[in-house]
Amino acid sequence: MSERLSNAPTPEGEYFESGRFAGLSVLLGVIAFVALALCGAGAVIDPRQFGYSWMFAFAFFFTLCAGCFFWTIVHYAVDAEWTVVVRRQLENMGVLMGIIALFFIPIFFLRHHLFDWMNIPAGTEENLDSKRAYLNLGFWVVRAVFFLGFFIIAAQLLKRFSVRQDKDGNPKFTIWLRRVSFISLPLFALCITFAAYDWFLGLQYRWFSTMFGVYIFAGAAGSSMALLVLVITALRKAGYLTNVVTVEHYHIMGKWMLAFCIFWAYIGFGQYMLIWYANMPEETRYFLVRNTESWWYLSMLLVFGRFLGPFVILLLQSIKKHPHQLCYVAAWTLFMQLLDMYLVVLPALHGTGIHLSLWDFVALIAMGATLAFAFLRIVGKTSLFPVRDPRLIESLKLVN
Amino acid sequence: MDDAPTAPDVIRGEASASVGRPLARVPLVLNRRNFSWITERISGVVEDRAPRWWWVCFTITAVVAMIGLFCIGYQISTGVGVWGNNIPNGWAWDITNFVFWIGIGHAGTLISAILYLLRQKWRTSINRSAEAMTLFAVMCAAIFPGIHVGRVWMAWYLAPIPNNYGIWQNFRSPLMWDVFAVSTYFTVSVLFWYTGLIPDLATLRDRATTKIKKFLFGVFAVGWRGSNRNWRHYEMAYLLLAGLSTPLVLSVHSVVSFDFASSILPTWHTTIFPPYFVAGAIFGGFAMVLTLLIPARSIFKLHDIITLQHIDKMAKIILLTGSFVTYAYSMEFFVAWYSGNAYERFAFWNRVLGPYWWYWWTGMLFCNVLSPQLFWSRWCRRNILVVYFVCMCVNAGMWFERFIIIVGGLHRDFLPSSWGLFVPTWVDIWTFVGTLGIFTSLFLLFIRFLPMIAMSEVKIVLPGADAHDPTPMGHHPVQAGGAPRT
Repeated sequence: MSERLSNAPTPEGEYFESGRFAGLSVLLGVIAFVALALCGAGAVIDPRQFGYSWMFAFAFFFTLCAGCFFWTIVHYAVDAEWTVVVRRQLENMGVLMGIIALFFIPIFFLRHHLFDWMNIPAGTEENLDSKRAYLNLGFWVVRAVFFLGFFIIAAQLLKRFSVRQDKDGNPKFTIWLRRVSFISLPLFALCITFAAYDWFLGLQYRWFSTMFGVYIFAGAAGSSMALLVLVITALRKAGYLTNVVTVEHYHIMGKWMLAFCIFWAYIGFGQYMLIWYANMPEETRYFLVRNTESWWYLSMLLVFGRFLGPFVILLLQSIKKHPHQLCYVAAWTLFMQLLDMYLVVLPALHGTGIHLSLWDFVALIAMGATLAFAFLRIVGKTSLFPVRDPRLIESLKLVN
Repeated sequence: MDDAPTAPDVIRGEASASVGRPLARVPLVLNRRNFSWITERISGVVEDRAPRWWWVCFTITAVVAMIGLFCIGYQISTGVGVWGNNIPNGWAWDITNFVFWIGIGHAGTLISAILYLLRQKWRTSINRSAEAMTLFAVMCAAIFPGIHVGRVWMAWYLAPIPNNYGIWQNFRSPLMWDVFAVSTYFTVSVLFWYTGLIPDLATLRDRATTKIKKFLFGVFAVGWRGSNRNWRHYEMAYLLLAGLSTPLVLSVHSVVSFDFASSILPTWHTTIFPPYFVAGAIFGGFAMVLTLLIPARSIFKLHDIITLQHIDKMAKIILLTGSFVTYAYSMEFFVAWYSGNAYERFAFWNRVLGPYWWYWWTGMLFCNVLSPQLFWSRWCRRNILVVYFVCMCVNAGMWFERFIIIVGGLHRDFLPSSWGLFVPTWVDIWTFVGTLGIFTSLFLLFIRFLPMIAMSEVKIVLPGADAHDPTPMGHHPVQAGGAPRT
């Protein structure tokens, strides 16, 4: 007990020393700068391929940040205890939505290379004409501004109130944060669904599925939990949060990874099976591309890698309670999310099979390095956990 | 890194003092009731003589149930023609009732299994009666597809039993999957319910005053002694059954939704149907749990066990699942329009403005979409009358929803010359009403003969169950037997 007391966190909280990682920060900044410069070249040299590569990277990072935002609002909405010690990192990743919004600017400029419906004049295609009330440039831009604006404003509010509570521990901030979260929940559902329709499903505007928004959400929630595991473990490896985040928290994070591994499979299977069973041409077109030629191998890898493998492994309690081992599963889950987004975006361009492009990697590195650089800048500005959260002690004493 | 520490018991400094009063956790059992009070109060319902109201209610529900059984007998002996089913409405009230009851049967196992895995301790006050309700609802549900096949005596063909005729089931049919899904769900739900009952049956055995009761409760308590070994096995079995039941909660209504969604009929073939049906089932199931528990709570004076906090949380789940149902309704409409498919668009407009328009406006829109929105307000979630009103709306709304999906999708199909409306016959109506009688009769029997609240589980969430509870049981203001300390 005395040993525990001596290791207990102090009321000042724990701060990430940015100076210790200045080298890493500079390296990330340089990589981001060079990769973004290359992206500029890519947008000129091969705008269509680059547009899809950029969209693929955007889909991956957007879903991760949206997922982190989701877990933050759920934390407040259900008055959870266990999340308190890891919540600050969710908030930090949620506010990166501001940078995600900047990454949308190239999509706007490359829109004619991405969205065929924008290039088809009125009166050419009856089906498209019948939905011009939704698929028109003005409304598309308004929606994008609304979706990204919502995420940015709500994520900022969640972070700011939480940080203000660090100073005086006033429970009124928790009440305010709950209100923000309650309002955010339906708006989150609306935004992620229609963002998925506009940006990903819009790449193949003739295809439709009522499940698509839920599918994108399922991937976002599961992969963002995996990202959280990796971020928390990296911080612990650097010597932070060692007395705050325990194996019990890892156990719960592992359980959520398992739950969303199953949920993703359930949603994905439900969507696929019903379309396969009914076998109607206007619906099967999406999966026909992904199940033929070389795309088939990636689709199979997704089935086994995103569901069957992690499902079996995450059933084991010992894995979930073992941070190091859980990190392998989390990293694999992130890789599978990457593959999933690749399969959502790229077959719309390369219907005849896999066509890896240099720009796929460059766009991914550019966004990843920029976001990591920004994260390192953000993470040191506040305590690594909400030090005066009213539920902190319950979170510290967590036992599954 | 790998040997992460266990949680520190105490945090230094101010943070520990910062828990604000508005955020304080309210006890799950009020007035610091002790173990003895809980045993007396819950066992008393079973041990005391049946009150007069119980006999009145049971007589009424039993008569209604008998009428229902008569209708079922009449239908079996005469044929499916006694119903209002026709072409194009080959499925109508029968399958509506089936889906309605299966949906009701979701809340119990959700409360028992999923909330258990999520460590939601508040479930202990309501799980037993919700599980019982699940079983009775699934029994009612199973009646309809059974008698809808026409020749009930051939229903055993549904089971995959190799037989002399060389008939083998069509495993590609979602109707076949239904048989497996529902029967598995019922089996596991019975096991789960019975496992949870064992410690309480032993309590009743130990308190029994007659030999017959002692024998029966003794047999069903399977030698429970409350030993460490007993509890260890019990908790492992409970956890495993919870793990088994959780995917079943999701799978049953997903498979029911496949009955419709695997077709190519507009309004039926919708990919969001599986999660939408599951959410709708939990939505309707929780409403039914509250419909039964709110009166039971008042009649048996269980306010300290089923508190406003429990009702508040259940109302939140109704709001959550109702919101997902609203989301699904909205996506159906949006995608029907977005698809540009003339048949899809027509079918959804027909749902809103066609012959059954009022089912949609009152049942789906008012009852399922609008009425649960009252639960955004804490005051509404804690006002029994408002909660009851919303639950009744949801009960009705979920039946209307299934009717709209089934008959709404069939009555105006691809061939306008075959369009036709469905009009229920007296057999349709009384068969459904009869199942309401069967359901309520079984529930009344349950509360008379078995403990309606899981005594052992409620005791576990009492502060006194914690070895480190700062207030010893003897210092609690209420003594054994429930008499207030003077």
